[in-house]
Amino acid sequence: MWQREKKPVVGIFGFSGCAGDQLAILHMEDSTIDFFTSADIKFFHMAQSHQEVPKVDIALVEGSINTERQLKELKEIREMADVVVALGTCACYGGIQYLGEDVETFKERMEYVYGKSGEVPEFLDLVGQPRPAQPISEYIDVDIMIPGCPISAENFVPIYTKLISGLLPQKYPMPVCVECKYEGNDCFLLHGKYCLGPVTAAGCNATCPSIDISCIGCFGTYEGANYPSMIDKLKEIGLSEEEVIRKLKLFGGNKVEQALKGD
Amino acid sequence: MSKEKFPEFVELIKSKGKLFGPVKQKEKYSFEEIKDFSELDFDYQRTIISPKKFITPAKYSTLRFVKFGQTEVLPDDEPQIVMGVHPCDIHAIKILDRLFLGNIKDPYYAKRRENLIIIGHSCLPDDKCVCQSTGTDMVEDGFDLFLTELDDFYLLWVGSDKGLGIAIEAENLLEENVSEEEIQEYVRWQQERSSMFTTSIPSYKYLADIIHLNYDSDVWEQFGEKCLSCGTCSLVCPTCNCFHVDDKIMMNAEEGIRERMLDSCTLPYYSMVAGNHDFRPDRTARLKLYYTHKLKEYIGRWGQPSCVGCGRCIAYCPVDINVITVSNALFEEVCETQEVCDQ
Repeated sequence: MWQREKKPVVGIFGFSGCAGDQLAILHMEDSTIDFFTSADIKFFHMAQSHQEVPKVDIALVEGSINTERQLKELKEIREMADVVVALGTCACYGGIQYLGEDVETFKERMEYVYGKSGEVPEFLDLVGQPRPAQPISEYIDVDIMIPGCPISAENFVPIYTKLISGLLPQKYPMPVCVECKYEGNDCFLLHGKYCLGPVTAAGCNATCPSIDISCIGCFGTYEGANYPSMIDKLKEIGLSEEEVIRKLKLFGGNKVEQALKGD
Repeated sequence: MSKEKFPEFVELIKSKGKLFGPVKQKEKYSFEEIKDFSELDFDYQRTIISPKKFITPAKYSTLRFVKFGQTEVLPDDEPQIVMGVHPCDIHAIKILDRLFLGNIKDPYYAKRRENLIIIGHSCLPDDKCVCQSTGTDMVEDGFDLFLTELDDFYLLWVGSDKGLGIAIEAENLLEENVSEEEIQEYVRWQQERSSMFTTSIPSYKYLADIIHLNYDSDVWEQFGEKCLSCGTCSLVCPTCNCFHVDDKIMMNAEEGIRERMLDSCTLPYYSMVAGNHDFRPDRTARLKLYYTHKLKEYIGRWGQPSCVGCGRCIAYCPVDINVITVSNALFEEVCETQEVCDQ
């Protein structure tokens, strides 16, 4: 550690999502031991028994906010943490569940999934009253966003290690296309196939395009994204406007919603 | 050199270091490491990434640091040989050389360049090649060896001491005397090749002035609206070389590396300086920077624009913003307003 006198206390909190980002941290394998020794890790439910401290230096928050209870907990986290990091696409942009942000009550949700017979089980009372899925930035100030579905170690580690060293991570938005060209890949869009690379944040090392699969945008929105031109391009290769918007919204969450409204 | 002897010649070159050459991968070509002669495919127009990847790779570390110290990371000493480099890409390397090996030598570039042997190869243009306009369709220097492929034989040019060394070693594969007929065939081939170009950049000679006159033109705005800011143009351009530097600390928070990665002036934070002041927050301004720098400002500093007419921007920009569409639009703008062009 360059700046800090003692190991920072890091809390890892999970809300609605698949918990894949917490799992991704445990899956770093070569660095997992270092992860637990380079900082004082607290609240990591997936990896350790419950332990509480009144304050953390850095809070890594995963998942979107879907209930009143989560909202209350989220606000408590903001109170107790110096730095709040949104971990993963759900926390950053709302994730896939943001697609259902207009379905509000549990009853509506259950019926949407299971049809008329969909009943609300009693245990759902435990999680509190439902709210439409929202990214954490909707309710609290977020200092750093590390998107990804799930996050990639290569993207997460350099940002995280700077934070625990008391340094400020450098923000430099790039689209997937940049990493795709680092890999020397051909462009799907030029061959009449859809790809969301130009509007998706980099950080994945262009994993999918490198194995010949179009980008579906799981790292969320790229800050320099040009949506009108992207929609035109995708329409040009034969997608309907509806299809294009559905694809953009899949992982784009609130950012795509805002961008589309702005046009 | 007769064509039968070519595989043996490649074998000889391979003994000098790691050999790279154009390889076909599905619909694209790429410079890849060559294990066997059969992998090579010289019948190609352009690779997606130019041979700049051997001298300014997409990502590499320049420094390794620990808590109380640092060591510079220089590239390996192993010689790399790249075969099948077209004249435009050789011109591009000459431009990069001037930049990186000028008054201030970049040690990482210099080391890689020293260890790189360039073996050029003749080519025939397609509808995206504009090297005739940019005057980079022929090359006299900047290579170690250059092969011109004709019907039954290769003509070999020697461009450096290293190249001469290889030629001397390959003495028994090469014929010293070139017959009058062979020279005639070469001249005919050159003439035929010159007549094969179908695309040109209008008024390339005056392009710098045209850009200057159009500095405030709406044309830029139109392109800016279309541009995806994806950075592809910079990454595929053989002369684009801007890089971004970042320090990466390892998970143990005790050691790290300093990494350089290729950048693009079309990306949103490219022109951001301390205090979050951004000189070019909008796409139009960034795209204008890309083209004015490449086609105009470069002339003032280096005497020539930094476009070598390789056609990569024409082939790989997903929304058709390239040296042709931009110069055409600017040219038309001048014709409309200035009535200076009667072409």
